[in-house]
Amino acid sequence: MKNKTTTLEDIIGLEHTKLGFFGELKNRNAELRDSNLELGRRQREIQAILDGITDVMAVVSFNFTLISVNHVFGEVFSQKDPRGDFCYRVFRERETPCPDCPMVIARETNQVCRKLHIYSLGGKNHQFEITASPIRWSNGRGYRFLLLMRDVTREKEYQARCYHAEKMATIGVLAAGVAHEINNPLTAVNGFAKGLQRRLPRLEACLKEGRASAELMADFHEYLETILSEGERCRDIVQELLTFSPRKKVVFAPVDLRKLVLEVLKLLRYQLNRRTSRLICLELDEAVPPIMGVGSELKQVLLNLIFNSLDAIREKGTITIRTCRTDSWVVLSIMDTGCGIPAEHLDKLYDPFFTTKPVGQGTGIGLSTCYNIIRQHQGKIEVDSVENLGATFHVKLPLPSMVKHE
Amino acid sequence: MGVLKFSVPEIFFGRESLKYSSICARRLGAEKIFFVTDPGLEQSGWIDVIFEILEEKNLGWVHYSNVSSNPRDWQIQEGADLYREEGCDVVIALGGGSPMDAAKGIALVASNGGRVQDYEGANRIKRPLPPMIFMPSTAGSGSDISQFAIVTDVERHVKMSIISRTLVPNISIIDPILLTTKPRELIISSAIDAFSHAVESYLSPIAFPVTEIHSLKAMELIMKYLPRALETGSLDDLEQLSIAGTSAAMAFSNAGLGVDHALAHSLGGMLDVVHGLIHPVLLPHVMRYNMTVCQDKIADIGRIVLGRSLGSAEATAQAGIEKLEAYFDSLKVTTRLRSIVPDQVNLSQICEMAIQDSCVLSNPRAVTVGDMVGICEAAW
Repeated sequence: MKNKTTTLEDIIGLEHTKLGFFGELKNRNAELRDSNLELGRRQREIQAILDGITDVMAVVSFNFTLISVNHVFGEVFSQKDPRGDFCYRVFRERETPCPDCPMVIARETNQVCRKLHIYSLGGKNHQFEITASPIRWSNGRGYRFLLLMRDVTREKEYQARCYHAEKMATIGVLAAGVAHEINNPLTAVNGFAKGLQRRLPRLEACLKEGRASAELMADFHEYLETILSEGERCRDIVQELLTFSPRKKVVFAPVDLRKLVLEVLKLLRYQLNRRTSRLICLELDEAVPPIMGVGSELKQVLLNLIFNSLDAIREKGTITIRTCRTDSWVVLSIMDTGCGIPAEHLDKLYDPFFTTKPVGQGTGIGLSTCYNIIRQHQGKIEVDSVENLGATFHVKLPLPSMVKHE
Repeated sequence: MGVLKFSVPEIFFGRESLKYSSICARRLGAEKIFFVTDPGLEQSGWIDVIFEILEEKNLGWVHYSNVSSNPRDWQIQEGADLYREEGCDVVIALGGGSPMDAAKGIALVASNGGRVQDYEGANRIKRPLPPMIFMPSTAGSGSDISQFAIVTDVERHVKMSIISRTLVPNISIIDPILLTTKPRELIISSAIDAFSHAVESYLSPIAFPVTEIHSLKAMELIMKYLPRALETGSLDDLEQLSIAGTSAAMAFSNAGLGVDHALAHSLGGMLDVVHGLIHPVLLPHVMRYNMTVCQDKIADIGRIVLGRSLGSAEATAQAGIEKLEAYFDSLKVTTRLRSIVPDQVNLSQICEMAIQDSCVLSNPRAVTVGDMVGICEAAW
């Protein structure tokens, strides 16, 4: 006997009975119930985490079959239940695996692979960033892939816009610097040219009479005229370039866009003949509130845009000038039915010195000046264009209540 | 003694009751049965009968028959490993005391883990055992009824007693037909084993009417039907011996045994003597030793053996013991200890081992090692 010696009472075993499984089952049942509840709780927790993920998630087998997808899939793709279908068919309507499949790369390298793919969704191209991670068994061998697909179309747009704004700012600083440097010698050139012009009668008096003298004087007159007019042109360009530079503090005043449009059209009266003035339609909403700005600058913007539209319609077509308000903007739209803007030009539209006009007819500064003016008004200038059908420029200016005070 | 207890398994008794084994197993939830027999039974043909019965109910089984008489601890371990490997769920044993005790040990170790030694003693089993269905092929051991399992610890040369109500099988199916194929010697030794169970449990201090009635009935049936069964070999007579064995088992499982069994266990452990052979040698001497404390009860036994009462209780008791010795002699079984124990064996060593046996507890008269040596010398 091991611990205590057996007694007669032990043999009777009043306190002992044949052990059954009921107690064990009861305990086991309770354990199972508890662990089941715990598993359910964990499952819900994981599900909540998964539901919180806003990217499309898909589990794909080695042979490109979709095993499961999350709820976001239904919001992005039109297919009801893609399980069992091939991923390349569901995502890209292909009949064979994609040549640059991130899963294949992930399998070969056994590492997470990220790729940017373009999917056509509802006729629009969307850029998706795709992350393929091998899901591993405990032995470290991958057997499936987890695909995370994020629509980065808008991010990419913002990125491009940000890049553009930066470029514009850099060019602005450069242009303004150049303008300052040129301004002083230009003033000297203009001043001395005017001085020479004033001295022309005295020069003439010093010359002998005769044909040769008259011709020389005519040359002097003509050349000085040219120097002066071209000098003035240079001065105007330089003035416009100077708007690129961070300007001194200006005082914004309330500007009624409706009045502004009418004033600009009055100014244009002399430039427009009867026919062309009839091509301009006005849709001015009287309820549009005044915005805060510099009237002369905004006039310059409007003039630029109207001139551009007139060039685009080439005397056949219409220009519509419209004002309206949205939640946070007052929008001034200039819509024409002209030749439109080629897609490849859209991202260079506001670059200084970018022009499609023949040399000598345009400086390529107009739109970039507009861009700068509107930016300084905390507004935006945007363009919708369909080639050969026309273009619409939207100038969005913030409602006074939305202006950020610097 | 105040409160006492009587517990027995569900008992099926009767000819051809074997066929219920598979139904019982099914009811107990069996799919794969762990079937224990001893090698001797494999030749009897009964195993195939059982297999057919199991097959009928689409039950699977694993057959384990590596069981010797006086089952060994390592046989239990081997069986338990096999049970677990095969994913068995119900234990069935067919045979005498050895395969049944082995089956209990296997069921115990398979479900409670550890080694069989861990459970030596009383009430050490903490978890339930797989359901057990036992079909005794001898009418003696009573293991199909009892709360005892006796397993030999090979290293210590000790027969360990494991006592627990949890060791009482769920179902005992007693089919006397199994006895018809038994050789004469086995019928004798089984009947004497049962008789000694009846005597010792009757004399036990924790015997009470519920057990006593079974003890007395068993003795009566054995005295009456053993000679007839040996003579005729008829199923009717064998059936009565079967009842006797079962009654004796119900008595001793609840009332316990005595010094005769303590010594038998000790001799069996040391010398691997066949258990049934020891009782004709020792029982009369143990009865004489106990006479001083329970003369009246021994007189009750004497009345059954003699078939009548003599003048006094003492005379009846004495005459009964003498008649019993004469009867054993007439059966041509060994009645002297020297015939089964080699000369060089140290008797006191055997008795020192025996005094540790739990059977000593329920002996009516307190006993010392010296007393035991005295009994052995008287039986020499």
